[in-house]
Amino acid sequence: MTAVKTTETAAPVGNIPPALPPAVTGGARKRRRRGGAFDRALPYLLLAPALIAILWLIGWPVVSVFVTSFQQLNLGELVRGEVVWTGFENYVTVLKDERFWEVSLRTVVFTVSVVVASVGMGLGIALLMRVLTPWVRIALQIAMLCAWAMPILASTTVYQWMFDQNYGILNKTLVQLGFDSFAGYSWFSSGTSTLSVVGLLIIWQAIPFLAFSLYAGLVGIPRDLYEAAGIDGATGWQTFRAVTWPEIRSLLMMVTFLSTLWDFKVFAQIWVFRGGGPNGESTTLPVLQYLEGIAKSHFGVAAAISVLMMVILGLITFQYLRKLLQTEEGKL
Amino acid sequence: MLKKSAANIAGLALALFFLFPTYWMITTALKPRGSTITSDYDLIPFSVTFTNFVTAWTKPGFLSSLGNSLIVTLTAVVAAIVIGITAAVAMSRFAFRGRKSFVLLMLVAQMAPFEALLIPMFLMMRDLQLYEHLSSLILVYFAVTLPFCAWTLRGFVNGIPVELEEAAMVDGCGRWKAFQKVTLPLLGPGLVATSVFAFITAWNEFLFAKVLIRSQDKETLPVWLSGFETAFGTDWGGAMAASVLFTVPALVFFLIVQRKMVAGVTAGAVKG
Amino acid sequence: MKGWRGLAVGAAALAVAVSGCGTSTSGGGTETKEITVWLMDGSAAPTLTDALNKEFESANGIKVKYEVQKWTGIQEKLTTALASSTPPDVIELGNTQTASFADQGTLADLTADAGQFNSGEWLGGLKDSLTLNGKQYGVPFYAANRTVIYRTDLLQAAGVTTPPASRAEWIDAINKLKAANASNPDFQALYLPGQSWYFLLSLIWDEGGDIAKQDAGKWTGALDTPQAKAGFEAYKAIYEASATKKVPADIDEAKPQQMEVFGTGNVGMMVGLPWELGGAVKAKPDLADKTSAFPIPSKKAGSSAPVFLGGSNLAIPASSKNTDAAKKYLALLSSKKYQDMLAEGGAVPGTSKDTAKLATNAVGKALAASSPNGKVTPVTPKWAAVEAGQNPLKDALTAYLTGAKTLDQATKDASDAITKAMA
Repeated sequence: MTAVKTTETAAPVGNIPPALPPAVTGGARKRRRRGGAFDRALPYLLLAPALIAILWLIGWPVVSVFVTSFQQLNLGELVRGEVVWTGFENYVTVLKDERFWEVSLRTVVFTVSVVVASVGMGLGIALLMRVLTPWVRIALQIAMLCAWAMPILASTTVYQWMFDQNYGILNKTLVQLGFDSFAGYSWFSSGTSTLSVVGLLIIWQAIPFLAFSLYAGLVGIPRDLYEAAGIDGATGWQTFRAVTWPEIRSLLMMVTFLSTLWDFKVFAQIWVFRGGGPNGESTTLPVLQYLEGIAKSHFGVAAAISVLMMVILGLITFQYLRKLLQTEEGKL
Repeated sequence: MLKKSAANIAGLALALFFLFPTYWMITTALKPRGSTITSDYDLIPFSVTFTNFVTAWTKPGFLSSLGNSLIVTLTAVVAAIVIGITAAVAMSRFAFRGRKSFVLLMLVAQMAPFEALLIPMFLMMRDLQLYEHLSSLILVYFAVTLPFCAWTLRGFVNGIPVELEEAAMVDGCGRWKAFQKVTLPLLGPGLVATSVFAFITAWNEFLFAKVLIRSQDKETLPVWLSGFETAFGTDWGGAMAASVLFTVPALVFFLIVQRKMVAGVTAGAVKG
Repeated sequence: MKGWRGLAVGAAALAVAVSGCGTSTSGGGTETKEITVWLMDGSAAPTLTDALNKEFESANGIKVKYEVQKWTGIQEKLTTALASSTPPDVIELGNTQTASFADQGTLADLTADAGQFNSGEWLGGLKDSLTLNGKQYGVPFYAANRTVIYRTDLLQAAGVTTPPASRAEWIDAINKLKAANASNPDFQALYLPGQSWYFLLSLIWDEGGDIAKQDAGKWTGALDTPQAKAGFEAYKAIYEASATKKVPADIDEAKPQQMEVFGTGNVGMMVGLPWELGGAVKAKPDLADKTSAFPIPSKKAGSSAPVFLGGSNLAIPASSKNTDAAKKYLALLSSKKYQDMLAEGGAVPGTSKDTAKLATNAVGKALAASSPNGKVTPVTPKWAAVEAGQNPLKDALTAYLTGAKTLDQATKDASDAITKAMA
């Protein structure tokens, strides 16, 4: 009984999309403008720890990644404490390497596919949940919660086991079903296949958040809007277009944006599966950065890759980011 | 009705899809050692044993990395929440010069792609001599989660009518008392929701944990588990048992938080 | 800029104070209380290191923080460790990695102290690998090469009574073994993962090929020569014969560790190092009496194939703050007592010419028989870049064995990748 309640009310827990305040009412109250010196200093005192932390731990590294990208910084320079300025040389090295372009393209394609698939399925499941019998909905929610709560490295390990070439349950099942060619089939023999498995893993873990958030949004749509549409004799699709879509559009944009940010920088799953292989074919930008910087200790070149990574991510999300900043600024 | 049962069937199929890896993780962990690696078709386990859990629990490094993960995650989350609240209150309850730019700074900061800051973070921790200390990870996870915590909590504070606080102050409470007595309890659900997200982020983090920590006694659980082939070989039962043990704290956290969430929501409803 | 740094340092100091994890070891010129020693998984038996650390601690009053590192991902780990200002004080480096780390100035120059480390008896191959521009940046630790480790009982049962003397005989023995155990679907006559690239090197050298060639200081990949391609073909022939249910083509011998698999008892042979047999015996003690080894057979009957001379050097990071204590540690390890223990464990000792102890067991004997035929990867600081991260040799093997690429394509791509990495 309580479990039922728990899951139902729990749906929105932790689902609050980071950039979306759950309840934007109130706003700042302009008051006590004429307080004492302490009162005037108080907001700054309250903000100081957060401000210092952000400038120190985010602001400084951002500055530093740009600075480093203009230096030749290998293990030797680092140990000797030398500073060697090389201008745009790191950028030239990176941009002249066709591998970088290949990897960038792959990263973008991978990100877009994963985002489209997970948001699409998330929306589909959210819509589906509205029409399900309560106990089925709760079963689905519990199942999704299990997927969501599983730490990334645990799920990566489980997927490796399920997709194991000789003893994985997937190949064994396919053979049982009569697809004998899957006996000893390797899911990691090509980059595309490896990235598909990684993509499936990411989508599987991303959907719960998306479905719960979108479901919360759908539940919030007033009933009478649908009733009105029902009276007009609208079909399911028409109702969706006329009623549902306008109501969840901004929420959908928000979760798409967030998914893009998250899926673009995936490292753990790709690295743990095949280290960006085989043949470097599942290497994405975060993996490339790690290989150049940490494995080969070319920190300057890696910093240039980091900067280019931010540029690409910026280009993908630019439109939305601008709109978001405008809206938020307007609200202030 | 036909449509409804079709939907229900789809819903159940999806539930299976989401549940299967968890099911497979648990059943593999319960299989006796000899019967995990087998060509037999073994979707349903017939004999159950807990020795895999003992194996995983006693593997060198498991307990210490579990402890490290807990220390790092909890410290970072608590720090981010505490500092996040103070910033949220400042942003939401005060009018001051520069407020607008600060709010926007928070919004932008939470979108910073941290993975792209790997190199400078590595160099910075090295210069600070924090490299190889758990505190370096605490700082990174704190920084990753802080802007999000501050921003989200700001939304929750905005949602609490300022009149309640003012009323308390009229009753003779100081500003701090008023915050403590009125705002903080009402903020409960918000704190809970925010901390789950922060917890999951830090509990999962792999890249920085891999780069900033090198000695085995300071590894966190994700890094330890990523090298499971060296620890477990082809002992998938042991690896799955370790995965189960890794999942438990996260799941427990989810569950505790949900109870609180229910309590918080109902409490709010009663008080109006 | 300056202001930021000050702020950063101040806040960091605060963080250190709060979390209570300030640096405990070493402080500038003060007395050393503890040294950190990193050796690799399988290098030295615990009996050796326990005795060594104990002797060192009681002789010098300095504690030893001894840590065993895994080979997987060691390149990245060493990079970050050497870049830090408080690195370990003694590290073990693969012989193929040493030149690159020395070249970047991250290792202490030990030329002047070589006498302390018994330099008169250094193993030649290892000495070359740690010498750069005439200076020595390490101390040879041990060398080992791969042999074919096999189950005497199983081969006997399959009717193979004498160790194979040529590659053809070997494949024949594998097939017999496979036939004799056909009832066990999980049986591996030869446990051979698709990416066992050290074994591939043996085959390439046996066919007269090489990995790369040097021309006027410039290295180019040589995997696309007919000889090297013949090596790949030989690998495929052996891999195809190895088992009914073959080991995946996209894993190497370390993930999962092949000794673990050998320890399950479902394996007839593996191409491995002595310490790997030790690991398997630990998992299944009765293997001790049922195992032996023979050198990897050449395609020419009666001789053994060249082998990759694997090995390690010991080095002191340039930024170590306990150099003197670390040198004392290395001096003790170079002494005859511990070198003999290394030989007993089945490795060719790095600082002692006395290998009598090595031939006391079957695996050691096979190893000693083939080690004169030992070869190494190109001795240049640039080689490490080939192995770091994504190794083209492994990729070529996987692509060729799975059929993803033709032999010509796979070897050409790998050659190009090597040329590029060594440029």
